[in-house]
Amino acid sequence: MASSSTRRRFLAGILATASSVASSSRRASATVASPAKRAKWGMVIDLDRCTGCQACVVACRAENNIPVAGAVDTEKGRGIFWMNQLTPLRGTYPDLSQQFIPAPCNHCEDPPCIKVCPVGATSQTEEGITQQIPDRCIGCRLCEVSCPYTRRYFNWSEPQWPSERREQLNPDVAVRPHGVIEKCMFCHHRIRQVKEKARAEGRPLTDADVRRLPACAETCPAEAIVFGDLNDPASEVSRLRESPRAFRLLEELGTHPKVIYLREAKWQE
Amino acid sequence: MAGVAVAIPFRSQDADENLLRHLPLARRGGLSLLLLALGTSVLCYGFLQQVLHGHAVTGQGSHGAIWGIIVANIVNFIGISHVGIAISAVVRILRLGRYRQLARLAEFVTLAAITTAVTNIAMDVGHPERFVFNVMWYGRYHAPFVWSCTVITTYVVGSSVYLYLAMRRDLWVCSVKAPVRRRLFQVMALGYRDTPASRRRHNRVVWWLAVIILPIMVSVHSVYGYIFGLQAGRPGWYNPFQAPYFVLGAIVSGFSTVILVLAVLRKAFRWEDTFPPRIFKGLGIFLGFVTLLYMYSLFSEWLTGMYASPEGERAVFRDLLLGRFSLFTWPAVIVGMLLPFALLFLQGVNPRVCSIPLTVVAALLINLGLWTTRALIVVPSFYHPLLPWDVAPYTPTIAEWCIVIGSFFMFALLLLVMVKVFPVLELPEEPEHAPVSSTPSMPLWKRLVIGMSLAGGAALVGLGIAARTSPEIFHPPAIWLSGIVLLLSVPFQICVLPERSRMRMVSRQPVEPHVVGASQASVGRYLVSPSRRVVLKAPLRAIATTVKARQDI
Repeated sequence: MASSSTRRRFLAGILATASSVASSSRRASATVASPAKRAKWGMVIDLDRCTGCQACVVACRAENNIPVAGAVDTEKGRGIFWMNQLTPLRGTYPDLSQQFIPAPCNHCEDPPCIKVCPVGATSQTEEGITQQIPDRCIGCRLCEVSCPYTRRYFNWSEPQWPSERREQLNPDVAVRPHGVIEKCMFCHHRIRQVKEKARAEGRPLTDADVRRLPACAETCPAEAIVFGDLNDPASEVSRLRESPRAFRLLEELGTHPKVIYLREAKWQE
Repeated sequence: MAGVAVAIPFRSQDADENLLRHLPLARRGGLSLLLLALGTSVLCYGFLQQVLHGHAVTGQGSHGAIWGIIVANIVNFIGISHVGIAISAVVRILRLGRYRQLARLAEFVTLAAITTAVTNIAMDVGHPERFVFNVMWYGRYHAPFVWSCTVITTYVVGSSVYLYLAMRRDLWVCSVKAPVRRRLFQVMALGYRDTPASRRRHNRVVWWLAVIILPIMVSVHSVYGYIFGLQAGRPGWYNPFQAPYFVLGAIVSGFSTVILVLAVLRKAFRWEDTFPPRIFKGLGIFLGFVTLLYMYSLFSEWLTGMYASPEGERAVFRDLLLGRFSLFTWPAVIVGMLLPFALLFLQGVNPRVCSIPLTVVAALLINLGLWTTRALIVVPSFYHPLLPWDVAPYTPTIAEWCIVIGSFFMFALLLLVMVKVFPVLELPEEPEHAPVSSTPSMPLWKRLVIGMSLAGGAALVGLGIAARTSPEIFHPPAIWLSGIVLLLSVPFQICVLPERSRMRMVSRQPVEPHVVGASQASVGRYLVSPSRRVVLKAPLRAIATTVKARQDI
């Protein structure tokens, strides 16, 4: 009995040491990156401002090297949209109303997609971004299936661009091959750039640095999209999320999305 | 020594030859192999299309059916694989003598089906070349896919060990009696010695293995239920009932497949005596019973979906029962379940009806019906996402049908290869004259090796589970899988590791007059025996005994 308990303690000790080594190294690198409290990135989309122009969708495609699907594949639902427009129709002709809801990945606090990924190709960064590693992905599409918002996309074929657009591919974002999942990552490459810039200038990251940081927010002519740190009580997103107009998609599922919508009348599914 | 010599008496020789008739590859067999290989090439064609042009050759889409009929096919074949070992284990544990000859055929069905299923998984994922390694090396303990990898590995290794140990004596008999490939059988028997003690040890080990395998087998299909049943974001799937429901469906489709396979082989190899019609009747009664249970589950699921549930669920089930899928649902239920159930029920309750064609037709209908039901579990959910996205309708393409139909050919091909390579029917054993006093104890080194494997396997499994939270450092699935393989090798070691211990003489038995060495079996027995002492001395001793017995008469 005694020997078994000491053995167990020994094994537990090995594991504890190993995990503490791993986590401490991670922590050490993190403190270099940002001395302040960890950010938790979130986005607020004001549907009362949104005009449905879809500039965010186009900007996202250009920024993130999203391939062109073509007519047949789009018909088959194989187009890739990191930022998409959800356009529910209400009523029947002629009494029609259509809503425009820009829909990036919700970067849920408790994402169902991460739980089902067998290989850890998707995980949550310490800043709350649900990231995707295409090189690890085996393409089983379980995450795509499990996402209640259908915000993940599979590469059904090798990515293709018209030759003139090939020249314009963004060097900051890797091109994904056939057979892997991809998704919105809140333009994490831009976050990294702006962090490095702030560090070079020897100043902390401010809300003004990130307010219009992602490509969709930068492009939005109506300034309907605001990006920022939900952990920072002074940030604009923190202020806006307290608005009585605020709601999140499919809140009842308990996924706690970090994309918050604003609308006068609560949106109905 | 006479006790060993009479293990297979003369009169069983003809029967044995009859039982081994399927082994030589005649022209008809070669032709069937060619045909099935051609059919399997259809599968390769479908896969090649997918490799060349991407998954866009399928009808699937992100805003559409994310999974299609290939996933339904995976579920179907996993289900079929489920039943082989179940039949075998139940026959062994409950000692159902009548179905004994069915056991190994059913195990072959298991192995062929699970290989086909895993091939299908590899063909469905986006990166087949990463799929096995990444899941084992980087696996996350909380992912149903990793559970599935774990239970499938356990199941394949466990059932292979089980199959081999249950078959080992027959392989050894084949090395003496088989019409062809005796050397191959001799190698495959791995130095088996047919003493009552080793026979008893094999039986005992295989019995315990059967007890262990039964829960594993339930887990395999439960995990497939969980892959669907844990998806809160998909109406129509999220259901605690999904796992037992899948297990039940697996039993239904597995039994109907076993009936079909049995009917074909019985016809092809003229095994009419071994498998009398009443065996089909018995299987049919059970198949009818589980089909009834399945229909009950379907009804209960549909009622829950249609009654007053959340609109998301109701949309799926309305589509399934009254909408665009009703065209498939109702034929599947009426022709694929109700009608065959009625046929099997009528046959079951009527003592005068005992028809193989009827059972086979019912099994075929059930198989088709259940395959359709699988597809109807997978696809309709994608038509009704929780958010009002536009959904592209799903039509399976030629590439997908190639993979699905080719899978059935592949399954049949694997089965035929196994039937041609291994003895399918259990060869009869002579009942032992005198009970063995005790199993000879294992030598110390063997006990040590087995003990270390047990301890090492358990430790690896424990270590893997303990390290589950740091998959990037420790690669826990690889650790626990090697532990499981080590644990499952223990029964194999118990039976196969050689023992250099002294051959214990069996208590002398009354000996019939019997010329030793006249039957092929007994010649082979001395030759294959690895112990030189037995090879040299046993014939002499046996002759002496016989002479003495004659003198006594």
